[in-house]
Amino acid sequence: MRKNWGPLSSALGIASAALLLAPVLAAQSSASPKKTDAAPAANSAAEAGTGKAKNWVMPRMTDGHADFSGYWNNLSFTPMERPAKYGNREFLTPEEMKAVFKSGVRGSYDPGAQGSEDRYGGELFNPDSVDYDATTYGLSPWQNGIKPNPRTSLVVDPPDGRIPPLTPGAKTRLAAGARPAGGFPYVIDDHHGGAVVHADRAKDLGQGTTCTTQSGGPPLTPAEYNSGLFIAQNPSYMLMETETGSEFRIIPIDGPPHAGFNIHQWHGDSRGHWEGDTLVVETTNLRPDHTYRNGDPNTEKITEYFKRIDAVTIEYKFTIDDPSTWTTPWSAIIPMSASAGPLFEYDCSENNNDAVNILAGARASEKKAAEKPPVPISQK
Amino acid sequence: MRRHFADAVFFSLVMAVAFTLLAVKPVAGQAPAASRPNPSSAPAARTPTPVAAASAKVPTPGQFPPYKAPRTADGKPDFNGIWQAFVTADIDVQDHDAQAGPHPDILGAYGAWPGGQGIVEGGEIPYKPEALAKKKENADKGMLVNITSDDHRHDTGDPELKCYMPGVPRANYMPFPFQILQTPHVVMMAYEYARALRTIYMDANDKTIPAEAPADSWMGWSHGHFEGDTLVVDSRGFVAYSWFDRAGDYHSDALHVVERYTQVSPYHILYEATIEDPNVFTRPWKVSFPLYRRMEKNIQLVDFNCTEFVLDLLYGQYSKK
Repeated sequence: MRKNWGPLSSALGIASAALLLAPVLAAQSSASPKKTDAAPAANSAAEAGTGKAKNWVMPRMTDGHADFSGYWNNLSFTPMERPAKYGNREFLTPEEMKAVFKSGVRGSYDPGAQGSEDRYGGELFNPDSVDYDATTYGLSPWQNGIKPNPRTSLVVDPPDGRIPPLTPGAKTRLAAGARPAGGFPYVIDDHHGGAVVHADRAKDLGQGTTCTTQSGGPPLTPAEYNSGLFIAQNPSYMLMETETGSEFRIIPIDGPPHAGFNIHQWHGDSRGHWEGDTLVVETTNLRPDHTYRNGDPNTEKITEYFKRIDAVTIEYKFTIDDPSTWTTPWSAIIPMSASAGPLFEYDCSENNNDAVNILAGARASEKKAAEKPPVPISQK
Repeated sequence: MRRHFADAVFFSLVMAVAFTLLAVKPVAGQAPAASRPNPSSAPAARTPTPVAAASAKVPTPGQFPPYKAPRTADGKPDFNGIWQAFVTADIDVQDHDAQAGPHPDILGAYGAWPGGQGIVEGGEIPYKPEALAKKKENADKGMLVNITSDDHRHDTGDPELKCYMPGVPRANYMPFPFQILQTPHVVMMAYEYARALRTIYMDANDKTIPAEAPADSWMGWSHGHFEGDTLVVDSRGFVAYSWFDRAGDYHSDALHVVERYTQVSPYHILYEATIEDPNVFTRPWKVSFPLYRRMEKNIQLVDFNCTEFVLDLLYGQYSKK
């Protein structure tokens, strides 16, 4: 199987070499402080297309640390959890990889296209929920520089590619009706060719539809569209802007300790430090109503690892450690591909037609129902 | 008004020393190096220096002694930090008395608005006559919120009340901090209020960044450059919907804002903005005020994601009764 993932192993080789050389390169950088790092990522991507990527050198900030500045995209057609048909297989064959990518691209702008198990076996993509025609909106994956992912699942640890089982305590907590982070579904199929909207007030529409929060992580997981990411970085801070909702996190690097226990934030409280050329970001202080996958806000810790592995790729890994929710910590790798900028302001609440139309529609339906009571099926 | 040169001769004698000592990036929670004893050079530390004499003078509001900003590693003036204005311009950019604010019957002094002196140079905004009438209508309907599924949602109601993005320059005098994060390519301005974000593009040679706004936006399309210690930011491409204050001062989508951020001490930026909009004003006009560096040792932006606080205000008319 190993020979089938040549591109990945060579990428790992580059990353390892970069780690070994890090002290030398850092020393060189500090010896010549005027050396500015760095073409923006978009330029690097353009160079990659001309074959100059072989001469790629890790972009560095003036303090010698790795520089992630630029535009990235983490759109992925790889399911979070490994579909059963792959068993313990970690990597796809090149043919499988092409097929999964092709199916994903087609499905991303043609909701009617038949989805493969590879694409829809996980929970990241639901063909019924794709509501934009990406060919119209210029959101096609091929326009975003996305590369096929050789992995069978984004989860890489445990080795079976599956998120570990919930603890008994978490099962009890979730069964007791803990509110899901995205809110409850408000459109319910009535199984008679229609649907019932359960939305008495705006809060019932959930955090996404009300534009309260839509993206930003942690962790940074792909969306079906608008999976863009902008990173601005200096030696003291990294700012990450996610495209959907223009939400941002500002991460102090080697800064003060975490904010106090009673500070709760939509994107938690993040602190970064360096391990070689990998920026490690630890996040705690999540809001009780916005933890990742309904983790326990008091114990959930999310650790993200940013590592540049070539001119056009950040290998982004995250580890979820929440002993009161999952029986073991678990990790996933989601590659980020260099993308063309810039990002545009995403005014969500300022233009929220959905909230108005869904609520107004629900009230109109209720009014209509009150005027003409439905005939019970038994009397039809 | 920006610089006070009366003591220029005196300062010229001490600046060689002062530049060296002051051009150090302040660290939140720490006094500047110049006022701290230096244990490694004991004799020098015991001798009163010209700097100590200079800082012994009580500062005069509006006047800043000559100052050279610290530099980033790539040699640019370093604006990194968390900053905040302490004017009441968000209530009214012009002179205004204290007022009870909405619903004093339940909000009492919590809801009262402080008085304050304006930030507009010359005192008055040069409205066209018909535009002045619109400003007064805005003020009258500042709390009339009617959210529709079209652009008429912007017809009445202060965008701040609705937790919409504050626009420019209002973002800089909201009573909330904002963080400046500077890199060789961009200057990011991240606002605590409504998590608004501005990207100031600093590299004029970067052809991937359009010169003109590709689409109108609340926070505008901004290019920046340095003039000495001043960061100059030129912004256009605004939507017509943001206001300058709760008093209904407004602009059109022809708004053009040129901002000048000048570091005038380790702890202050002098902020100036020239506002131009031929649809609304008879001539360009200017606002200015200081920004203050937040110095709490654990200072960071925290969430003020007010969208969750306004859901029933915005959509209550569509809620189940």
